[in-house]
Amino acid sequence: MIEVSTLTTVAFWAASAMTLGFALIVVTQRDIFRAAIALAGSFLGVGILYFVLSAEFVGVVQILVYVGAISVLMAFAVMFVQDVTKGSRPVQGRLAGATAAVLILAALAFTAFNTDWSTLGEITDPVAVAALTEGYVEVGTGDDLTIRLEAGDVDPGEVVVQNRGVLVDSTGAVGVLLIREYVLAFEIIGLLLVASLIGGLLLMRNPGPGSEGAAEAAADADAEASGGEVSV
Amino acid sequence: MTIENVLLVSAVLFAIGIYGVVSRSSLITVIMSLELMFNGVVLAAVAFSRFTPSAALLSGEPVTAEAVRSALTGHAFAIFVISVAAAEAALAFALVFAMFRAGESIEITDASELKN
Repeated sequence: MIEVSTLTTVAFWAASAMTLGFALIVVTQRDIFRAAIALAGSFLGVGILYFVLSAEFVGVVQILVYVGAISVLMAFAVMFVQDVTKGSRPVQGRLAGATAAVLILAALAFTAFNTDWSTLGEITDPVAVAALTEGYVEVGTGDDLTIRLEAGDVDPGEVVVQNRGVLVDSTGAVGVLLIREYVLAFEIIGLLLVASLIGGLLLMRNPGPGSEGAAEAAADADAEASGGEVSV
Repeated sequence: MTIENVLLVSAVLFAIGIYGVVSRSSLITVIMSLELMFNGVVLAAVAFSRFTPSAALLSGEPVTAEAVRSALTGHAFAIFVISVAAAEAALAFALVFAMFRAGESIEITDASELKN
């Protein structure tokens, strides 16, 4: 199938070291701002890992969403909350946390190394192998498309769609996957993002001075939730 | 680079996240550790997509375009998890701000009461 070159292996281990090193800084650093910067580094390392695994689209999304948006949100939160001068101290549960982490890591690593994973080499159909690595052609009319390796003889009126191998050039195929097989989940994700936007706005709204104002704000929130008119 | 190596890296990332969630005192660092755990999970999904075949390609039936695309299910899964994580991060930080405004503190030991 897809051969893994030495350069890819070197890039994989370098990106892994970057990811795990920055992640360790995140959970050990007392200064929260430094932890936020290290977190951005860790996200970037994971993004590079996606590129190494030839998942270019996921890698770009990772860099846009995590390195771009969530890291900025973290930095904003750190600067907004003055309490961070106290730093992030380890709490009493540190030993329990380390024990839980080591146990779960042991279980996951045991599973990873003791399972007989099926490999891409088990695919025997030459058309499937070529479609995954080199590319394929869809020929047909309407929704009735068949897969070929070469376009060959095409009747007039038949559509010919050229595709590249989905494992080496995944972006287009992921796009089709998202708007065909998973279109319902795709739409629901949009709804979820809007809901979280409104929820964040409600939580962040200034409740005004004193607990009375806070109670009013809560009443406003209830009125909004039930669709009633709100006078602010 | 084999699937075992990639899964090991994702497991270590997940474990580091667990340690951070349990052992840190600041709510912001706990959320950061949660994001690390999300990344570990998504990395595993992409690794499975890259190294293991989908069942539709092993069935022996004539290959369809759907079967070929199903090799990338892990990528679609990754996109969805990243979206949910982004929504979660936005709401979590709104909660942090609300808690800071209510009590001038973001220590998790002070977060036993969320109402007022």
